[in-house]
Amino acid sequence: MNSIPLESPEGTSNLVSKRLVLWHFVAAMFFLLTAMGWGFLISLQFFNLYPFDDISWLSYGRVRLLHTNEIAYGFLVNGFLGCLYYAIPRLTGRTVLNEKLGYLIFLVWQVTMVLTSIGQLLGKGQAVEWGETPTGFRPGSFDLNFVPVDALIAVGALLVAFQFLTPIAKSLHKRMYVSLWYMSAGFVWLILTYLMGNILAEWTLPGSSGAATVGLFIHDLVGLFVTPMGWGLMYFFVPTILRRPIWSHALSVIGFWALAFFYPLNGVHHFLLSSIPMSVQYGAVISTIAVEIVVTTVVVNFFGTMWGHGYALRKSLPIRWFYTGMILYFVTCLQCAFQTTLTVQEIIHFTDWVPGHAHLVMLGVFSFWILGIMTWLWPRLTGREWYSRRLLGWHYWLSAIGVVIMFLDLLSAGLVHGFMAKALVPWRDIIMALKPFWGIRIFAGGMIITGQALFAWNLLQTARGSRAYDYRMDLLTPEAA
Amino acid sequence: MDRLNNILLWAGLGCFALSFLLSGLYPYLITDGKTPEASIRELAEDVSSDFRLLKEAYPIDFARAFPEGVNALTDPELATIAADDPRRGQSEDAWKNAYARALRDGRDLYIAEACWHCHSQYVRPVGNEVERFGPVRTTAEDNNALQRPVLWGTRRVGPDLTHEGGKRSNDWHIAHLRNPRSTSPDSVMPAYTWYFRRGFQIRRGVSSETAEREGIPADQSYPYPGLYDTKAEAEVALEKLKSSLSSNLEEEAERMFVAEGSGPDGDALALVAYLQWLGTWSPKTAEASK
Ligand code: HEC
Repeated sequence: MNSIPLESPEGTSNLVSKRLVLWHFVAAMFFLLTAMGWGFLISLQFFNLYPFDDISWLSYGRVRLLHTNEIAYGFLVNGFLGCLYYAIPRLTGRTVLNEKLGYLIFLVWQVTMVLTSIGQLLGKGQAVEWGETPTGFRPGSFDLNFVPVDALIAVGALLVAFQFLTPIAKSLHKRMYVSLWYMSAGFVWLILTYLMGNILAEWTLPGSSGAATVGLFIHDLVGLFVTPMGWGLMYFFVPTILRRPIWSHALSVIGFWALAFFYPLNGVHHFLLSSIPMSVQYGAVISTIAVEIVVTTVVVNFFGTMWGHGYALRKSLPIRWFYTGMILYFVTCLQCAFQTTLTVQEIIHFTDWVPGHAHLVMLGVFSFWILGIMTWLWPRLTGREWYSRRLLGWHYWLSAIGVVIMFLDLLSAGLVHGFMAKALVPWRDIIMALKPFWGIRIFAGGMIITGQALFAWNLLQTARGSRAYDYRMDLLTPEAA
Repeated sequence: MDRLNNILLWAGLGCFALSFLLSGLYPYLITDGKTPEASIRELAEDVSSDFRLLKEAYPIDFARAFPEGVNALTDPELATIAADDPRRGQSEDAWKNAYARALRDGRDLYIAEACWHCHSQYVRPVGNEVERFGPVRTTAEDNNALQRPVLWGTRRVGPDLTHEGGKRSNDWHIAHLRNPRSTSPDSVMPAYTWYFRRGFQIRRGVSSETAEREGIPADQSYPYPGLYDTKAEAEVALEKLKSSLSSNLEEEAERMFVAEGSGPDGDALALVAYLQWLGTWSPKTAEASK
């Protein structure tokens, strides 16, 4: 691998548009806080403490859509874009297609998010899980009822692809580093996945074949966009911060192609034991188990890179975020391999186990990576020393402990629910049995949000502070920093 | 771009295409693709008695929401409300059109409120689900326009609704939507109060003998169907009602009065019509009733 240029005041500042990175990070933080706020709010419903019972547009169901959509499209996408504006010019040695286009994309994306939120609060959400962004049409027909946000997102994704694929294409005469594999594939897959999920399930495929496509969409969005972006960034930032090359390049390429092959075949596992043909269901089960092998190669590669340098976990907070995310990634994927079997599905499907799993992936893995990258980049973007490094520690521990509590809590709730349902216990008694778990979830959610609020405050105070960031710090290995 | 990169680009797209072929197109071709999707109108061939009863219980809001179902010959009162609506018909076909629209609107509201995030519409052949919820659905039963986008759901905070139709009464559903705790203590389902509107009702109090005999409060009263917008309208209707009563009911008429009240609007009726429809249609029964 070519050595990655280090940040310094003169260094590569003409390559990277710092302001775009910064803007996307600010937007990402905004949506992170609001999305978590919605999440906290709806968790109160399960204790019948919901404060807006009489207000239609703040009703549980509608806010539930905002919680997941603002995380997926508001926080993760903005966060990834910020990181990509930093990483891709460095990986390719070229600027992105056009800085002005960058501001246009920024604008399009935030408008999309605001329209999505308004649309969903007005009850215009689409019935495609993780793709509830309004189609703008009444379900399954062409009567317009809102702004067609889906189309806007497709346009946005296309612009993003042009913006970043241009420098990648221009640098193709060199051997491509694995990060660029992941990223370029992710841009193309995002557009295909998005169109597939939002168009086919709405206009052409009903019932069980619709469900098969929706399953594909749910899974591809995570597996073919979020995951490739996440790993692509890890392959860039981990070696950059550790100042060590990746352990095995061969392994990294195997990991990529195994992901490209097996991940998209998983989709149907979201609707197992359904009327989708059994052969298709078994195919999905088998490839889900195969993904576990892929994941192991990638995780092994990263631990190989870290081998003998474990002190970095203590010394460097970004590295700690990254590796916590990787361990949790391994846990979620191991979980996938088991929970996809029909025996386990019987009990855990339809229960809180599934949101538990989802929180671990979306928050514990990908969000942690973005937060780690933000932690590393923020002083370098603003040129200011952290307002408080202690608060950074609090942010990490509140988030990490919070998500683990929430995960274990929802897992247990899922088992209780699943076994009680199988034992034909009356529904009311199931609800009563779940309430303590839902109480713990409120508590864990509170911890996580507190952590993010402290981080947001820290970011703000840092940007407004007067102590300059000492760039010489970058020349030190994490050992000394 | 050199050749290797070209190949790899196609390989990446190929993986995506393969997955769609195997887990999207293939199941479609061997199941739903073999028969045409049932349109909403076809699903509404058998107008349920629950839907007809909605008109009896909530005539004014029903007439406003589904003017197709208002028959000018048998419901002269209601017909005046929706007189200028061209969709008004007098045949069984008109009922079916009204029903089809109620199902479509109900399904749209089911999506708008994200009911599908707390309720599933798919029963699995395991976990004693058949005992609790009813038979497993076949692909053919879900091959219809109300299942596009598919509403199977992935989470059951509340019970599965695949076979909800006919399990409960209209009134139960209306009361449950307004306040789930009123019918199901400890429920965590949200209340949907905005599907209810205020207006004026005709009510009739109980006689003092009845109150004593049945042990109910002396000021207890019961509403007549119909929620009027203004007090004046309700009073006109009350006068009409009284004058239509035979003379031996004079004592009853004495106890009739107009009071403020509230009731479900057209949206709530559509939602209930949809819930009462769930699980009542299948290609087989549709074939048999032809
Ligand atoms: C927070 C999750 C939640 C949401 C959102 C929700 N429900 Fe429920 N629902 C429940 C729970 C829990 C029950 C079981 C307790 C009860 O009967 O209220 C239930 C029960 C029901 C039942 C009774 C089923 C039976 O026969 O026992 C119906 C019908 C129903 N819901 C319809 C709806 C509709 C329609 C919507 C959307 C407008 C909706 N629900 C939204 C949680 C929810």
